[in-house]
Amino acid sequence: MVKKKSFIRSFIFWSLIVLVILFVTYPFLYMISVSFRYDTDAFEPGLIPERPTFDTYLQLLGFKQSIREELSDEDEQLKNLVKNMPEEQQKEVLAKIGAQRKKESFPFIRFFRNSLVLAGLSAFFSLLISIFGAYAFSRLWFPGKSTVQRSVLIVYLFGGTILAVPLYQIFVNAGLTGSGMRGSVSLFVIYIVQTLPVSLYMLGNYFRTIPETIEEAAIIDGSSRLGVIWRIIIPLSMPAIVTVYIYAFMIAWNEFLFASIFIRPYPQFHTLPIGLNEIFYSEHAIWAKMMAASVLTAIPVVSLFMMMQKYLTGGLTAGGVKE
Amino acid sequence: MGRRSHSPRFIKGGIVMKLSAMSPLKLKEAKLGMKLVTPTVLLIALLIIYPVLYNIYLSFFEVSISPTESNVFIGLQNYKNILTDPTFWISFWKTIAFTVITVVGSIILGLGVAILLNKEFPGRGLVRGLLLLPYVTPLIAIVFAWKYVLLPIDGPLVRLLASVNIMDPGTDIINNPNNSFLVVSFFNIWRNFPFIYLMMLSRLQSIPSDYYEAAEMDGATGWQKFWNITLPELYFVIGSVALLRGIWNFYKFDEVYLLSKFAGTLPIYIYEKAFAGLPEQGVAASIATLLFVFMIVLIGVYVKKVLKW
Repeated sequence: MVKKKSFIRSFIFWSLIVLVILFVTYPFLYMISVSFRYDTDAFEPGLIPERPTFDTYLQLLGFKQSIREELSDEDEQLKNLVKNMPEEQQKEVLAKIGAQRKKESFPFIRFFRNSLVLAGLSAFFSLLISIFGAYAFSRLWFPGKSTVQRSVLIVYLFGGTILAVPLYQIFVNAGLTGSGMRGSVSLFVIYIVQTLPVSLYMLGNYFRTIPETIEEAAIIDGSSRLGVIWRIIIPLSMPAIVTVYIYAFMIAWNEFLFASIFIRPYPQFHTLPIGLNEIFYSEHAIWAKMMAASVLTAIPVVSLFMMMQKYLTGGLTAGGVKE
Repeated sequence: MGRRSHSPRFIKGGIVMKLSAMSPLKLKEAKLGMKLVTPTVLLIALLIIYPVLYNIYLSFFEVSISPTESNVFIGLQNYKNILTDPTFWISFWKTIAFTVITVVGSIILGLGVAILLNKEFPGRGLVRGLLLLPYVTPLIAIVFAWKYVLLPIDGPLVRLLASVNIMDPGTDIINNPNNSFLVVSFFNIWRNFPFIYLMMLSRLQSIPSDYYEAAEMDGATGWQKFWNITLPELYFVIGSVALLRGIWNFYKFDEVYLLSKFAGTLPIYIYEKAFAGLPEQGVAASIATLLFVFMIVLIGVYVKKVLKW
């Protein structure tokens, strides 16, 4: 009797586990499956592709031209076509066609590079600023300290939605709009601020767990406070520092609202979220490419997270990470 | 020699007093502290505090789009326009409903999964890793996957639901203003429940097991143990998580907008007023100000009544 009951229990338990796993992984299974198909096969039913291929990945990463470019001897034809035209007209026509082609292509690598530079740099500066700030919060006393600490936390109350209009106006007035480069600089600064509260909070909590006696010994030996930060605090806090960097990186890697406000008109500077979204609405029937692009966008962040899972989940529950 | 123990002595009097009353070493430390937080203070003052105030200021103006023209002061006109605009009120109630549905939904789901995983079983590490996927995958990547499975006729999930007669395969549930609100809520719950599950699990694991053992000796059923031990122990985690998720979801833009432009919550309304078509940034600023004031009041009440701080 007891055995039967425990069998039913464990059956229910395992069915629930399977259900939860299916619920969580459902869209991922299709994302991966479709990414290994040709665009034309994107809607064949079933999860296992009938004609699996790496083509979309190779195209996105620039190892292979798209089928259209490959099949047609477009370049040859073009040259023949413009041969009889006057020189000036030739240039103009070629430039026009070139621009048209660029529009049709899928500049995934460019989006990826832009995102990497922007997220990488802003996370780095956010980390740098917050190491100093968090050290001051956790170890030094200075006038106005508690006010500053509280106002850092208040940032949690302001979503990007509230700040979008005034920040746009401020950056327009500061002359930091109107070109892709300036827009990217605006984003860089905004991403630093957006990630700063989380970084300060998590690092501050971690620094407080390091015994002050270690530092006092170093100070008695003649080390300066900055020397202490560099030689003691940073090496001892490496897990927290890596965690904070990954979080700051993820926030910038995901950011869409401000990117759409500041760099939408400048495709050369598009980051992944804005670039992929624009392509999605301007092209048709490129599901396989979109899915491959999604997989490639997810890989850096997800693999970083899985590698550091132990530290990252700890940080997540300790910090209440801001979104 | 705890440095913090010195601070109470300097509470009275102005900053100058405090500094001059300090020993040279303390003075040096205080100066260093101020230097170290200067970048933080500057950035937050310039890019958070000032914009919030500037937003309130802008809400009384008709904001010009070109930098050469100056803004025109129109007093409370923006507010009058909004509060009499039925679209605003529809969006407002949709936002409230979205926030309530997603907070309650993700807490129930997160709590359920946390209780399920709060015991040893083979493969638990793997399941835990998989559970975090919805939350850590970049938004733009996972949004396309959901758009794909929900496509009318061809989308696998739509095919599945149609085959059991739950829905008509031809409906575009994402881009239909009547449904998209629910789809977006569902997506938000799916994406954010892992965050809640993590918070709950770490709290669950800190409940001493003797509580349960004692209850078992008194003959408590599983359900009674849940109501009388687990829930009271989780009260503050649930309260805090609900607060955080409530704030974030109330302001949520990207998770809603990228999945469906037709969900019609207030952040989307603000965005479209400010940056699409003929921009009316003064109007957008006044909506943002209203949201902000509403939020502050709500948070104040919540923190007092629910979290009892």
